[in-house]
Amino acid sequence: MPRHPSPGPCSPPLFPPPGRRYAGRWCPPAAPVVRDRAGAAGPLARPFPSPTPGTVPPAPPSPVPLPRAPLPHPPAEPEPPPRSLRISRRDAQSLLPLPVSPPAATSASGCAGRTWGWCAGRSGAGAGARCGMGEFEVHRVRFFGLVPAGVRCLACQPRGGRRLALARTDGAVEVYNFAANYFQEKVIPGHEGRSVEALCWAAEDRLFGAGLGGEITEYDLSRLCVARSVDGGGGPIWSMAANSSGAQLAIGCEDGSVKLFRVVPGGIQFERNLDRRKGRILCLSWHPSDTHIAAGSIDILRVFDVSSGQTVQRIMVNYHVHKVKRECIVWSIAFLSSGTVVTSDSFGRVQFWDWEQGTLSESHTVSTSAVLSLSVSEKEDSIVVGTSTGATYQFQLLPVKMGSLEKRWVRTKPFQHHTHDVRAVAHSSTALISGGLDAQLVIRPLMEKIQKKGYEAALRKFTFPHRCLVSCARKARLLLFQFSQHLELWRLGSTNETGKDGEVLPLCRMPEHLVQLKSKGPEHIYCSCVSPCGSWVAYSTASRFHLYRVQYEGDSVSVKKVPKVPKLLLPAYQLQFSADSGSLFVASARGSVHVLQLLEPGGCKHLHTFRPPSGCPEAVYLLAVSADGHWLAAVSGDWAIHVYNLKCFKHHCTVPTYDCAVTALAIHPVTNNLVISYSDQQLFEFSIPEKQYTAWSRTVQNHGLHKAWLERDSPITHITFNPKNPSHILLHDIYMFCVLDKSLPLPDNSALLMNQSTLKQLPETARQRQLHAFKICKKFQPLLFADLLDENCLVMVERPIVDFKTELPLPIQQKKFGT
Amino acid sequence: MEAVGREEGGVWRGGRGVARGVPHGGRKAGSASGAGREGGVRGKMAPRKKAGVAAAARGKRGPPAAHLSPASSEDEAPEEVSFGAAREAAEAERKHRELLKEKRRRRQELFVEQKRRKLLPEAVLQELTAEKPEVTFNLIPVPFTKAVYCTMISVKITQGLAEPKGNYTAVRLKDQSLTGLHQQLAKDFLNTQLYGPDTNRVQANEFFSLENKKDPVKKAAVQFVDKSWGQEKKLKAIRFKKRWLSTQM
Repeated sequence: MPRHPSPGPCSPPLFPPPGRRYAGRWCPPAAPVVRDRAGAAGPLARPFPSPTPGTVPPAPPSPVPLPRAPLPHPPAEPEPPPRSLRISRRDAQSLLPLPVSPPAATSASGCAGRTWGWCAGRSGAGAGARCGMGEFEVHRVRFFGLVPAGVRCLACQPRGGRRLALARTDGAVEVYNFAANYFQEKVIPGHEGRSVEALCWAAEDRLFGAGLGGEITEYDLSRLCVARSVDGGGGPIWSMAANSSGAQLAIGCEDGSVKLFRVVPGGIQFERNLDRRKGRILCLSWHPSDTHIAAGSIDILRVFDVSSGQTVQRIMVNYHVHKVKRECIVWSIAFLSSGTVVTSDSFGRVQFWDWEQGTLSESHTVSTSAVLSLSVSEKEDSIVVGTSTGATYQFQLLPVKMGSLEKRWVRTKPFQHHTHDVRAVAHSSTALISGGLDAQLVIRPLMEKIQKKGYEAALRKFTFPHRCLVSCARKARLLLFQFSQHLELWRLGSTNETGKDGEVLPLCRMPEHLVQLKSKGPEHIYCSCVSPCGSWVAYSTASRFHLYRVQYEGDSVSVKKVPKVPKLLLPAYQLQFSADSGSLFVASARGSVHVLQLLEPGGCKHLHTFRPPSGCPEAVYLLAVSADGHWLAAVSGDWAIHVYNLKCFKHHCTVPTYDCAVTALAIHPVTNNLVISYSDQQLFEFSIPEKQYTAWSRTVQNHGLHKAWLERDSPITHITFNPKNPSHILLHDIYMFCVLDKSLPLPDNSALLMNQSTLKQLPETARQRQLHAFKICKKFQPLLFADLLDENCLVMVERPIVDFKTELPLPIQQKKFGT
Repeated sequence: MEAVGREEGGVWRGGRGVARGVPHGGRKAGSASGAGREGGVRGKMAPRKKAGVAAAARGKRGPPAAHLSPASSEDEAPEEVSFGAAREAAEAERKHRELLKEKRRRRQELFVEQKRRKLLPEAVLQELTAEKPEVTFNLIPVPFTKAVYCTMISVKITQGLAEPKGNYTAVRLKDQSLTGLHQQLAKDFLNTQLYGPDTNRVQANEFFSLENKKDPVKKAAVQFVDKSWGQEKKLKAIRFKKRWLSTQM
């Protein structure tokens, strides 16, 4: 007899139906009638006094919506309900919870847990303003099953460079720009057969990667693809390091050889082999004077003389340890200018060796599990190490006594930002950077190196890409999710009911997984898009561009590939359909944008290619089209924004250069103003017809944005508008969704930026004084995408962290006292 | 009857399938159970043959009848049996031997051939070193160690090179999927080191439930979050529900 719940059809469901769409309705507290309703909704919307015995409350939310201080990383939201990707319609209906009854409300999960109201703008707002300004029906989507890949290696640009290169376990390479507020400015999608085990910058700003495929790859950072790759000739490559001048690369191979390559213009050239011994070379480090190379292997570390190629020192890492059963893997190594070799190994030790004597000078056991990564600051006074348990430690070279000349390495700061193995660390001049297999990049600034409080002083955690992987067909109510090698097309659910603020509405139709498009070949997808009418889907990989015609007949969906797609300069970095689904814009290399005309039965033809008048080496990475089909704005990698006229196919103007990365842009459907958000959190509004910044934009610049707004640590990833309310701009980043009301005054630094919950508790008159332009909601986190479907219907795509953490590789057990 | 059973048993010890049936049929002649129907039939036949119908039976079915003639002589029948079978067996044996012989001969030939070609590797080596630039089939001048050459040559030899020397083509190591093998080995090494038995890994559920336990805000157990878990149990539950519904109808 199987022991599990719910044998009968009528027993109340323990959990809400999987894949459900949550529709909530929020009411503006400004309107008296609605406020009452919202007040009445309070207890209903928070029906979790205590978990009902016998049922498992899936997600009790935090009890009261307190006005939250602007935390850079707000605590994780309550767990979502369990869900599966598909559920049959009949089951779904039988499982629908009633909106009012308490058990059903309990089962309806934490999504409904809190009331959250939009503050309606004006005083004495009428009914029209009431429902128009602040009340949205929200499709809360949690079926985007994105699992970001873990971080495999990190490389800071040497000599005060402002870039950080990162490689993920799926072979993707990303570049973050410190100067642009750690914006992820470049992404080179991965490749099935191309793992990256080591990354390094050489010859100033050329980026090289090497992996178990045995090839050394140079990346083209302006075209965002692999420029060339060369076989290393020694089997899988475990490690690679550039010398201090960046003119030579050393690779450590599976067959135990260390090979030197010279970086020449247009490639690299094999130079010589160093003394080859058995045992894979897992890590490498050059001496800062470029005369010696230290290489770590299994149980052993060796020092090579570069000029003679001979092994000059061979140190058994385990020599003094008795009765060792396991082999000791030297995971990471660093060669200091003082002649000290620092190793980190699988026994959890960080050891300091004198290479000439071959003696151990210091040994610190930092962890019971392996220490996987190690990085030294350029001044060689600080070391950061990352362990298997997800902890990182800083070591500092400190005097033994006050004023003493004798210095020793001391373990100073422990950090536990990761849950999984930290396989990569980097030490920039002001921050410790670590990347774990939990897909998180953590940038932890060193406060003693920072002069003033600003962006640099904030702890940053990046898990999701700084761009949208979701596109939305507004009219057809479809969502297209982009994964590394496939696309998923979903139809949103719908509801007939209306409810009060914060209430979960039952669905009359469940969300439906319509199509899964698998990309052929080993290449990962660069970009994808679905047309507003939902009948076209396009995506691009490094070498191929695909356009599909999707037809819906009742319940069935047919997908037909459009044959003879015009040959374009690939890859495409961004795709965008026009609002009438009549044309497709393809962002391409060298600043160019192709315009394709879509022909009805399922064809397309190339109409025009826009190129910036002065030329541009970088690829276009963002596009925005106006709703009337007049204008197209394109941002290339050098952050220049060009506006093109689509009617006469001419370059219209260039937005004045602002020295920061553009994170999102959009053209207002009514006024044709281009709204631009930059990675330093600045917002600009540029009037395309008048070719100048608007008055509002100038006011914002004069007044300055709120401090809490500027100190946010994640960039705005998407901007949209409400056609019914031309003064509203809807924007979001990972942690918040904001309705920016241009008609309201900007907040002062003394005012509270996130004041929605405070406003609710205020009486009407006081509320009017407190109103300001930024209406921020933090209910949906981490928010990957938000868009307005129609005037009062929003779609929010969330990906709760715990959801994908269970799909990551296994973490190390951590013994906690008393558990 | 008793004597017959023993006698037959003695004869039938060799023949396997029928041996069981005969005593059975002998004892309860009429009731041939499903398990030993044929045996039952034969059991009936045995007494009949005793009555002198052996010849007819022999004519009807060759081998069984032959088997069933213990009365004439105990030694003759098995010989007769083994003659037909043994002829075939002998045939097979001979064929097998011939095959072996052939194989040996071929092997011998191969050895001779190899002996004849024993000088080949040196020659090839010389030739290859002589025209090194042509042999660098990689895009860059990768330094070939001797081991690499040897691998190449052995590859050629195993491909059955019988042409005179000088007619060699260079083979890319990549095409021999050596890299693939090495890559797999490297990945296996990494996997053992990071996720092997000594690494103290724990299931995500356990790991995060610990966190949840200490968290002031209690959440759903991770196993309910990951939909890929408990798939089997869920399916079972669905099946059970269906069955339960049908019993209620």
